[in-house]
Amino acid sequence: MSREREKGMSLIVKTITRLTVGLIFLYGVYIVTHGHLSPGGGFAGGVIIALSFVHLMLAYGKEKAFEKLSRAAASLFEDAGAILFLSIALLGFTGGYFFLNFISKGQPFKLFSAGIILPCNIAISLKVGAGIFAIVVALVLLEFELEEEKKEEKKGKR
Amino acid sequence: MSIYLLCLIIFSLGIYCVVRKRNVIKIIIGVIILEYAVNLFFVLVAYRVNGRAPIFSAEQEVLNMVDPLPHALVLTAIVIGLATTALLVGIAMRLYEKYRTFDITKIRELKG
Repeated sequence: MSREREKGMSLIVKTITRLTVGLIFLYGVYIVTHGHLSPGGGFAGGVIIALSFVHLMLAYGKEKAFEKLSRAAASLFEDAGAILFLSIALLGFTGGYFFLNFISKGQPFKLFSAGIILPCNIAISLKVGAGIFAIVVALVLLEFELEEEKKEEKKGKR
Repeated sequence: MSIYLLCLIIFSLGIYCVVRKRNVIKIIIGVIILEYAVNLFFVLVAYRVNGRAPIFSAEQEVLNMVDPLPHALVLTAIVIGLATTALLVGIAMRLYEKYRTFDITKIRELKG
């Protein structure tokens, strides 16, 4: 097996990644949806969701990660998170003022209890998850451009 | 009080790393150490003796809890720290692309 054809890290890392990446993603979703009951919330859950995609990128190379979440999709999710958060806040004007908790509060300490906090957490997690994935993608692509320039320089010297 | 002094020692290490080191990557690591020393100081200020985390739950009532406000502030500071670190790393990569070195003593041109 030549190393050019095999992108990413070794077989051990790839196998462990394949087993754990779904669990990491699911744990991020759990942190997001229980943000109003226990520590966590939109930001922490969004970071964990982004780290599951970064994990995939580190183990398998960037093409495999772009199959799961392309750059256009990451950009779309980030914009959708911001617009969703703003529209939840603006929907409060139906009852009176900005950020009004217009959904019923429900039973305390149950999953559907705190009104608009759960949709807000989901919007923040979309924004943060796609944003941190986009930061890592930007740094990785910049590095690859550098390496290509180096290769071209070496060819020119020869 | 001595625990605040330990926090100050970490802060001084970060300052030393920023002013003394010549590699750009090491300077960025120094900035991160500075940031975490300040975050640690805020969390230490928030601590109360025998306090527990201020989380409501259905069964028990929290009587003696630590101060939650610096915790929220530190969470925001960590987010801003992530953004500034990404910016610093991006600038360092651009510098390397232009000068082919991370040594700040060799980056001497003012313009360009």
